[in-house]
Amino acid sequence: MRWTTPAAVVVAAAITWWSASEDFGIGLSLEEIASNFTRARPIIQEFLDPQWSYWPAIVDPFMETVKMAIVAAVIGCGIALAAGFLASKVTSPNTVTYLADKGVLSVLRSIPDVLYALVFVAAVGIGPLAGIMAMVFFNIGIVAKLLSETVDAVDLGPIEAARATGGSRFAAVRTAVFPQVLPNYLAYSLYVFELNLRASAVIGIVGAGGIGQLINIERTAFRYDRLAVIIVAIFVIVFVVESVSIAVRRRLV
Amino acid sequence: MTTTKAPGADVRRQPGARPRKPRRYGAWLLNGAIIVAFFWAIGSLEDLGLADLIGAPAKMWDIFGLMFSPPDWSYFPTAMEGMVESLQIAWIGTMIAAAASLPMGFLAAKNVTARVGSTVTRQVLNAIRSVPELILAIVFIPIVGLGAVAGALAIGVHSIGTLGKLSAEAIEGIDTGPVEAARATGASQAGVMRWGVLPQVLPEIVAFWLYRFEVNIRAAAILGIVGAGGVGSVLQNTISFRRWDKAGMTILVVIVVTVLVDATSSAIRRRLIRGSTAATASDPTTEVVA
Repeated sequence: MRWTTPAAVVVAAAITWWSASEDFGIGLSLEEIASNFTRARPIIQEFLDPQWSYWPAIVDPFMETVKMAIVAAVIGCGIALAAGFLASKVTSPNTVTYLADKGVLSVLRSIPDVLYALVFVAAVGIGPLAGIMAMVFFNIGIVAKLLSETVDAVDLGPIEAARATGGSRFAAVRTAVFPQVLPNYLAYSLYVFELNLRASAVIGIVGAGGIGQLINIERTAFRYDRLAVIIVAIFVIVFVVESVSIAVRRRLV
Repeated sequence: MTTTKAPGADVRRQPGARPRKPRRYGAWLLNGAIIVAFFWAIGSLEDLGLADLIGAPAKMWDIFGLMFSPPDWSYFPTAMEGMVESLQIAWIGTMIAAAASLPMGFLAAKNVTARVGSTVTRQVLNAIRSVPELILAIVFIPIVGLGAVAGALAIGVHSIGTLGKLSAEAIEGIDTGPVEAARATGASQAGVMRWGVLPQVLPEIVAFWLYRFEVNIRAAAILGIVGAGGVGSVLQNTISFRRWDKAGMTILVVIVVTVLVDATSSAIRRRLIRGSTAATASDPTTEVVA
């Protein structure tokens, strides 16, 4: 098997050459990038000199983003609780439900958040509602998948005990499985809330409300000094929320 | 979390007495906080237009029907061309990140770099990770121009954060034997890294690269909405001009190609390495829950 490493290197190099080439790929040229960076000095300078006085304008859109993230996380995680239990062999009532749910979830996950946003903006119009709907679908896919994997790994003893006392299937899930996976479930919920904050910056660009919508306005107006303020704000908020969330999640799980 | 006291532990043992239900103040508090936050958020969101929700399912069903009954097959070449460009953007971005994150990984590993250095590098990696690709693309576009190169740079820079962190964790988990052996032969610090550390972690790190490539395909599929190349602009145009049959074709291409490349890549990853949960995580959409 010693030939596999050189072969893999050759294949990777060939794919890289093909992807980077001017004729077949994206036309990546280091000299061009370097010269662009020198030529674009005024723009870079504008980015590096944010117009700090702009910050009051970003507070409201940011609040909108946070609210959207909360609403979507609560709804999405609520639905994912049911979908997650149905997608595990341990708690799913039958194989058909299990396979169907797993299939639906993997389709849900294969669609990027922005694509959901594009479709929902077309369906319900520009604004936070479309953004919330997009994030709900995005959250269901992730939380249900992570939850179902956690349920797969639970201790089966308590389920047997619950069934032995004459508990129904649902009661067994409720009293024997749910308490075991609750800390993980909360951790996943916190994780998607954090993902939502980041996602809403992006889905707003296609008109789904929140801070992204403001990004789009300033981007198309070429106000790089204002964009810089928004980016710094996103960066700080995501960084802080992520640090808090990681610390809480470490304690939970 | 909930109170850990055993249910009914404080009940005086009388024959036939039912154990008292444990009180769960923590759970009530948490539920209460979530409910309050939820309704505060819904109530204070302006122009939410909840009325639009009533017609939404029917409208979604219509759109779904228009997209896939049947999709516009003549649009396949255009969609495929965009998707191939997205794959190329994802690949180049991953290569840029791989090259940059390997040294960063060594710098961030606590068993290789002194405490201050590794902590600082780790924070830098975390910071890089918290700016989404699309935002980086918006920054790179005015500098290198509209197109796929801006997209590849955005993906490359963003991925350095995750890959650097994962590489550092892999390096921290090495067996110290080969390191000692290399040192005993009188190898320099660089020699120890090259012969004592790198061979141990390379399979795992390459698996991380492939995993990141899979994540990046999804990112590259949407970068086009800000003009950073790939299939995203096709999606944006077909959907905003409500050419649903063409949009359906494009979505189909995106999903099928993503799933196929994923399957190939994760098969290679599984052969490269067994046991590491992060590297063998079967599904790039859930990323790594740190």
